[in-house]
Amino acid sequence: MSATFWVWFGIAVYIAVGLAIALMARRGLGRGMSEFFLANRKVGGFVSALTYSATTYSAFMMIGLAGLTYLGGVGALGFELTYLCGMFMMVFFLPRFWLVGRKYGYVSPMELLSDRYQSKWVGATAAILALVFLVPYGAVQLMGVGYLMNGISQGAIPVVAGIIIAVLCAIAWSNIAGMRSVAWTDAFQALVMIVTSAAVLGVVVAALGGFGSFFGKLESATPGLLTVPTAKGAWNINMFIGLALPWLFFLISNPQVSQRLFIPKSVTAMKQMLGGFLIFGFIYTLISVLWGFGATLLVPGLENADLATPTLLALPIIPMGLAIVVMIGITAAAISTIDSILLTLSSVGARDIYRGLINPRVSERRELRVGQWVIPIMAIIAFVFAWWAAGKTGLSFMIAPLSSAASAGLLMAVPAIFGAFFWKRATAPGAIVSCIVGAVVVLLFQLTGWKPLGWWPGTWGFIVCVILFVGVSLATKPPRKKADEFIGYLKEKLDKGNFI
Amino acid sequence: MSKTGWAWTWFGFLLALDIAIPWFVLTNVKTMSGAFLFWAIWVAVAIISAFFIFLRWKEARR
Repeated sequence: MSATFWVWFGIAVYIAVGLAIALMARRGLGRGMSEFFLANRKVGGFVSALTYSATTYSAFMMIGLAGLTYLGGVGALGFELTYLCGMFMMVFFLPRFWLVGRKYGYVSPMELLSDRYQSKWVGATAAILALVFLVPYGAVQLMGVGYLMNGISQGAIPVVAGIIIAVLCAIAWSNIAGMRSVAWTDAFQALVMIVTSAAVLGVVVAALGGFGSFFGKLESATPGLLTVPTAKGAWNINMFIGLALPWLFFLISNPQVSQRLFIPKSVTAMKQMLGGFLIFGFIYTLISVLWGFGATLLVPGLENADLATPTLLALPIIPMGLAIVVMIGITAAAISTIDSILLTLSSVGARDIYRGLINPRVSERRELRVGQWVIPIMAIIAFVFAWWAAGKTGLSFMIAPLSSAASAGLLMAVPAIFGAFFWKRATAPGAIVSCIVGAVVVLLFQLTGWKPLGWWPGTWGFIVCVILFVGVSLATKPPRKKADEFIGYLKEKLDKGNFI
Repeated sequence: MSKTGWAWTWFGFLLALDIAIPWFVLTNVKTMSGAFLFWAIWVAVAIISAFFIFLRWKEARR
């Protein structure tokens, strides 16, 4: 039977298992927004760690990061590990999000901002930021699946068919039982991701004669890829900072991951979530970068670096069965991210836009229904964007830079989030103005390609955003009573739990 | 300085190393024992220091 048949067969098995898990998760589903979007804040440590891992790590890793390594070498490792180092900030933010989430019943991170700043417009601004910038980020997941299925089937499966499969799965996983189905399928998918990627890396390293020989060949064949700045000029320090800065604050800027800080059922579950994720992230990053280096040796000279992984998987040294299993693993990585994005955007659409701005007296049932409608709408928008971007070439349309560009926009909410937890003098006008102007700067610079001093859009946007946040806050009146209560509550609880 | 202050300072120090060592010190080391090894060890240190902090967390008394 042909490779195309086995690819379809693998996809069918994956969808069947995913659906079965999602339907099992539905059996325990209760009522209400908190139940649907946060699994009633009762997720255990193991599943929390895996859903956090699967949501964070996406097609970006084995396709985008591998492609960036293929193109520019070791700078890609530093860029991705800068994100992981940024996870150190979880020791500050995880207990804070978790504690106030329980105390005030927040469903989305934007609701937290609205309440803390005592202005629904703060949450709405952050919500619009998420709706705008998470679309390209969701779309790159779809592109990843499309490229992969197309590459492994050697063109028999069109890119758009892969994109459609990913969209349909993501809609199903997120709609069947909300956070329950997403978290459970994420847990399954995270295990598939790490096991399959480790297995296929092992095959490639063995084909290159083991790690010693692999590293030796890298040093002799592509020494310019082992330093920064890269000899080929692919990495310079402005690019590194421009890509790494949005990644550094990913844990609080991206609502699909910060919303997960509300879900662990206990302090022990929080610890397991954080520890499990850090270990997972370290291993998965090394695998993805080494995989990209493997591609530089085995399939040199590709015009589109994002095709390094599909091309490598199609080589005869990779058994077809393993290639298909890996394809499923990467597909799982992509879908587990986009379904989380869809779920978060639906909670944001329902809670922060519909209830916050349009109909404050809406019943919880109606609010939930609105959220469930947002899922397919956002999925279709991401699909159209992916379809359009998949036909483009160049650095700006590669998966890694496109993902980081999306996070550059979301970065503009970071000063407001810091202010909410650490600065009583922070104000709603400061948060709103900094988010809007910073996002406009990022969008303008991205659309025009303008890089004054060689600095990337996210860098400029962030500088403008921080200055405006501090300046406007100092010039306006803070919600003193709420700030005292919010930060005072945290201080008391943080001391009791031995948090910092 | 408070424990929180120390933790932020440590984090800032790690970020300074992230730029200083690979971009200015190891620029001519074209082997796996250059920037690749540095970043791997550097992030391992960051992870271990996070473990060192969060393993002390405990359930709050009611």
